[in-house]
Amino acid sequence: MYSRSFDDKPLFEETENTVAVQTCKKRMVFAVVTFLAAYFVIGLKVFAVCLPHGVKINLPQNYIFQEQSIQSPIARADILDRHGSILATSLPTVNLYANPKKIQNAEDAAEKLSFIFPELSFKDIYQKLTKPNCSFAMIKHDLSPSQQAEVNALGIPALEFQTSEKRVYLQNNLFAHVVGYTDIDNIGKTGIEKSMHKRLTESSKPLQLTLDIGIQDAIREELAAALKKYQAARAAAILMDVNTGEVLSLVSLPDFNPNISIPVGDSSLFNFITLGKYEPGSVFKTFNTALGLESGKVKITDKFDATKPIIVQKRKITDFHGENRWLSVGEILTHSSNIGSVRIAERVGKEGQRQFLKNLGFFDSVKDFELPEKTAPRFQSEKNWSAITVATVSYGHGISVTPLHIITAFSALVNGGIYHTPTIIKSDTPKISRRVLSEHTSEQMRPLLRDVVLYGSGKKADVKGYEVGGKTGTANKTLNGKYLKNTVTNSFLATFPISNPKYALLVIIDEPQGIKETFGIRASGWNAAPTSGKIIAAIAPQLGLQANFDIKTQKAHIKASR
Amino acid sequence: MINTKTAFMALWCTLTCIVIFGCFVLKNQVHDLESELSKINQNIASDIRNIHILKAEWGVLNSPERLRKLAAEHISLNKIKAEQIINYSALPFENESSQIKIVANNKTDLKQLAKAER
Repeated sequence: MYSRSFDDKPLFEETENTVAVQTCKKRMVFAVVTFLAAYFVIGLKVFAVCLPHGVKINLPQNYIFQEQSIQSPIARADILDRHGSILATSLPTVNLYANPKKIQNAEDAAEKLSFIFPELSFKDIYQKLTKPNCSFAMIKHDLSPSQQAEVNALGIPALEFQTSEKRVYLQNNLFAHVVGYTDIDNIGKTGIEKSMHKRLTESSKPLQLTLDIGIQDAIREELAAALKKYQAARAAAILMDVNTGEVLSLVSLPDFNPNISIPVGDSSLFNFITLGKYEPGSVFKTFNTALGLESGKVKITDKFDATKPIIVQKRKITDFHGENRWLSVGEILTHSSNIGSVRIAERVGKEGQRQFLKNLGFFDSVKDFELPEKTAPRFQSEKNWSAITVATVSYGHGISVTPLHIITAFSALVNGGIYHTPTIIKSDTPKISRRVLSEHTSEQMRPLLRDVVLYGSGKKADVKGYEVGGKTGTANKTLNGKYLKNTVTNSFLATFPISNPKYALLVIIDEPQGIKETFGIRASGWNAAPTSGKIIAAIAPQLGLQANFDIKTQKAHIKASR
Repeated sequence: MINTKTAFMALWCTLTCIVIFGCFVLKNQVHDLESELSKINQNIASDIRNIHILKAEWGVLNSPERLRKLAAEHISLNKIKAEQIINYSALPFENESSQIKIVANNKTDLKQLAKAER
């Protein structure tokens, strides 16, 4: 009994083990089957992928494949005109440098290199190749492909090439003052190249300007001809779209070729449009007349006494071509009367004058304009703005502004009274604009400007069909605080077509000489005005402006030619 | 029991071989595609560079200064004058009852007009 009971125990244990083993087996089989199934599915999938047509992957309809971007091989973005013509671009080149530590026969290498690059002297190259403790010596920038092949053929292991870019200005001088130039390391030094350096290097998307290559060329050609004809020191012109503030052309002569290095301080680097601070003279009468009308103190029908010179703070103010009679507001502008302008300014007063000029931007630098070469106007402080300042500023003396200031303010004056921040970068987002003048004053000013061209000093600027309106300005230059008698800066400020102004043009001829054709006269009406006329005649058809001729005249013209 | 084990092992090995082979083929194809893509990208970059240079050349060839010289040399065309752009209604045609009828001697008129514009 004992032995039996003893034998029973292991029997019981064996039964328990068997159950555990069976459970374990079941679990194992389950795990193996699960893994096998998983492997089978994965295997099938992999096999299916390997088949020629693979597996059709059902992507959502709106799934966008990420575009694989190929980096542009050119690092610095192009600069384009408003129609997409290239003004500045970078071309891939190679630079040649040497590792002086690896050089074996410096004398021989220097001799061979100086033969390939005649502009480099043997001595210079030899010095570079034998520089102690140096592993990098730049020999030559921007090699031509044939030069590179010749250097390669030398088989000197110490000479190596470095890929680089060379900035090229395809239009040579044409956009020199706008586009500017870069240094040998492709860092912008002047113009858009300087102010937009970050944008040009961060994005390969070309930078589009508001300038028009055809218009720019036409204006430069006329201006260069005028510079030569009138033997002037400088000439400059700017064309602006009055309804947007976009600059379509900016020319300042003399200019330079940005492809050739120019010594710093060279006079051709000077951009008269943005840096040329000058006393504008009679063109400022346009703003003075608008000031009178806008203030409400002067009516278009008012007449002012211009019978005799006016004396302000012991200074005698006279008219250049005195009419010596009472003049209407329009006549003051047409005959460019200093006396009449002073009378208008005096009626408005110091505060009104200062506020008006400030609104038109004449007291500040044109901050948002994209060119880095800018200057602030020069004018009397409020304390020193005396009666004589009120008088002289009315006809454009005693205040120095840049042509950019004048054209921007003038655009506001003729476009209905909205001041648009000037710009040379094409953008979809409009720039800041503000009302500075009532629409009524702007409308009143237009016929007055037209009269100057029809009957006044600006006759030579008239272009049949394009209804030019404008104002001449002849300002004597100063030297050591004294006005020079025969040295003048002439301006002509124009807008066209006057019935619905679209463009404003400012032409400046600095220090013109009296020539036979002008009977020795230096005044603006004899040089700046006809130049403006020629420019408008050349560019208006390009701008797509339809000439506004009288139909009867046209028909008569056609009949007459039969 | 042994037969089952052998069968499982055989299946296991077969599946493993298939997976290994599949992976190898896949990797090979991907490798080929990658090198092909790299070549295409290189070609695109080279084409972009060439197009860029050609654009620059085109820009030089189209510069207004050059075109003006060529125009003066080869064609006798001058700049358009304002009076050359005339209003349609100034043309010597007559409007008749909503239909534009050209007058009988239109050919002569057109010749005259062309002459006048010259």
